[in-house]
Amino acid sequence: MMATPETGLLGVLALLVLLLLGMPIGAALGLVGISGLTLVLGFEPALIKTGSLVFETLTRYELGTLPLFLLMAQLCFASDASRHLFDAASSWMGHRRGGLAYASIAGCSGFSAINGSSLATAATIGLVAIPEMRRHGYSDALATGTVAAGGTLGQMIPPSGALIVFGIIAQQSIGTLFTAAVIPGLTQMLLYFIVIALLVRWKPALAPSTPRADWATRWATLGKIPDLLLLMLVVIGGIVFGWFTPSEAASVGVAGALLGSLWRRRLGWRELYVALEETLKTSGLIYTVVIGTLVFSVFISVTGLADAAGATITGMGAGRVVTVMLMALFLLLLGSLLDGLALMLLATPILLPVVTSLGLSPIWFGIFIVRAMEIGFIHPPMGMNLYVIQGVAPDVPLWRIFRGVLPFLAADFVHLLLLILFPALALALPAWLA
Amino acid sequence: MTTPVPAPQPLWYRACVVLGGGALLAAAAVDFFAIIGRHSGIPLLGSIELVQVLVGIAGTVALVAATLHRNHARVRVLSDRVDAGTAGLLYRFNALCGAAFFLALAAGSAWLAHDLWSAQEASELWQLPYRPLRIAGVAGLLGITLLSLRQAWQGREQ
Repeated sequence: MMATPETGLLGVLALLVLLLLGMPIGAALGLVGISGLTLVLGFEPALIKTGSLVFETLTRYELGTLPLFLLMAQLCFASDASRHLFDAASSWMGHRRGGLAYASIAGCSGFSAINGSSLATAATIGLVAIPEMRRHGYSDALATGTVAAGGTLGQMIPPSGALIVFGIIAQQSIGTLFTAAVIPGLTQMLLYFIVIALLVRWKPALAPSTPRADWATRWATLGKIPDLLLLMLVVIGGIVFGWFTPSEAASVGVAGALLGSLWRRRLGWRELYVALEETLKTSGLIYTVVIGTLVFSVFISVTGLADAAGATITGMGAGRVVTVMLMALFLLLLGSLLDGLALMLLATPILLPVVTSLGLSPIWFGIFIVRAMEIGFIHPPMGMNLYVIQGVAPDVPLWRIFRGVLPFLAADFVHLLLLILFPALALALPAWLA
Repeated sequence: MTTPVPAPQPLWYRACVVLGGGALLAAAAVDFFAIIGRHSGIPLLGSIELVQVLVGIAGTVALVAATLHRNHARVRVLSDRVDAGTAGLLYRFNALCGAAFFLALAAGSAWLAHDLWSAQEASELWQLPYRPLRIAGVAGLLGITLLSLRQAWQGREQ
C-alpha cells in the first residue's frame, strides 16, 4: 500500500472505531500504528521500529520523571496531605460566604502542586471537601461542581502528568512546559474564584457563611503542612529557577515526600508497598499509551497526513486566531467522544505540525491542548471528573453535578479564549526566566 | 460492617513490585545525590546512565502491574451502554487485541535484541551491559501477552 495522506486518514478512522469499541487506548494506537507501518513499509521495518521504540521509551531518562512524580503524590496521599491542605485553606477562608468552595479550589491547587492528575485531585479533595460543604448547608450542585472543576487544575499546575507526556511526544522541554503552565494554572484558579464569588453574590443561599476559625486554629492547621508547602516551593521553584531539571525535581520530590511522611509518622512498610504498587500500576497505564502513541505517530508521519492537514489549513488563509479556534472546536467535539489522554495523544501528532507551520510555539500548543483536554474532564458525555465526584457523593444525581459544574465550564471557555488571544499567558514566564 | 479483606497477591507479583519499586527508589536516590554532588562540587558521573537502567526495570514491571490489574485506560462510551453479553464479547475481543499488541512489541524487541546480540551494547561511563535489560524487557512483554490472553479467556471481572 502507498504511503499517502488517505492511508493515514484511514488509520485515524480505524483508531476511532477501536477506541469506541473500548479497546485499551495504548493497544489501539499501537495496533493501528504497527498494522499501518506493516502495510506501508513492510513487516520487518515495522517490527524493528516498534522494538526500538519500546526500549527507548522504557529507558528514557525524561520519562522516568513521571513515575517519580506519581510516587511523590502517593507518598503525600499516604500522609493525609489532602485533608491537611483543605483544613488549612478552610480555616483561613471558610468564614466568608462561599469560603469552603474557595478553600476547595485552593486545596485542589495545593494538591495539584504535588500531584499531576485531574482524577486523583478531584477524588482526594472531594472526599474531604464535599462532605464538609454539605454539612455546612452548601448546595449539592455547588459543592460537587466546585471540586469537579477544581480537580482539572491537577493537569495544569506543575508537575503535570499530561505535560510530561506531551513533552515526550512533541519532543519539547518538560521544564519549559512546566514553567509555561504556571500563569495559566494561576489564572484558571483565579477565574474559578470569580465564578464562586459571582454565584454566591447572585444566590447567597447556595453557600451559607460558616463560623470564623480563631487564630490559634488557623495557625494550628498551617502547622500541619509546613513540609507540604516546602515541598511545593522546592519542586516548582527548583524547576522554574533552574536549580535542577524536571527529572531531578521528581527525585527531590520523592526524597522530600519520604522525609515528610516519616516526620508525620505515617509511613510504614505496608504504606510504602502500597504507594509503590499504585505508582507502578498508573505508570504502566501511561507507558502503554505513550508507546502506542509513538508507534502511531511514526505511521502518521510516514503517510504525510499531518503535512497535508497543515497545507490544507494554511491554504484556507483563515489566519492564526480563526485556525486555532477551529482547532479548539475540533478538540472539544472530539473530547465528547474520547477521554482526555486519548484526545491529546491522537491530536498531537496531527495538529502539532499544523501549529508550527502557522508559526505558533509548540510550548504554547502544549498548554493549549492540555487546557482543552481538561475541559473534556468536566463536560459530558465523557466528563471523567463528574463520574469520579459521583463516586464520592453517590446520592447526588449526575445532572446536579453537571449543573453545578456549568458555571465553571463557562469560565473554562473564557480561559481557553484568553489563551488563544494572548499566547503570552503561557509564553511570558519562560521567556522572562530565560 | 466488616472491611473486605483483599485477595492475597501471588509471590511472583509481590517480588515484581519490590523489584520495580526498589528500582524507582534507587533512581530517585541516584538523581538526588547527583544534584547534591553537582552543587557541592563532587559530581556523580554517569548518573543518567544509572537512572536509565533503573527506570527501564521499573517501566517493565509497571507494564506487568497495569495489565495484571486490568488498569489500562480505555474509552467506555460504548461498552458501558451495551448489554452484558455484548460487553463481555467486546471485552474478550479487546483483550485479544491487547495481547496481539504486546506480542508485537515483544517480537520487535526480540528481533532487535537478536540483531544487536554481538554488538556488546553497554553504557558509556559505567559500562552497564544492555543485554540483560533487553532480555528482561522481552520476557516482561511476553508475560504481559500471556496475562492479556488469560484475561481474554476469563472474560470481564464482575
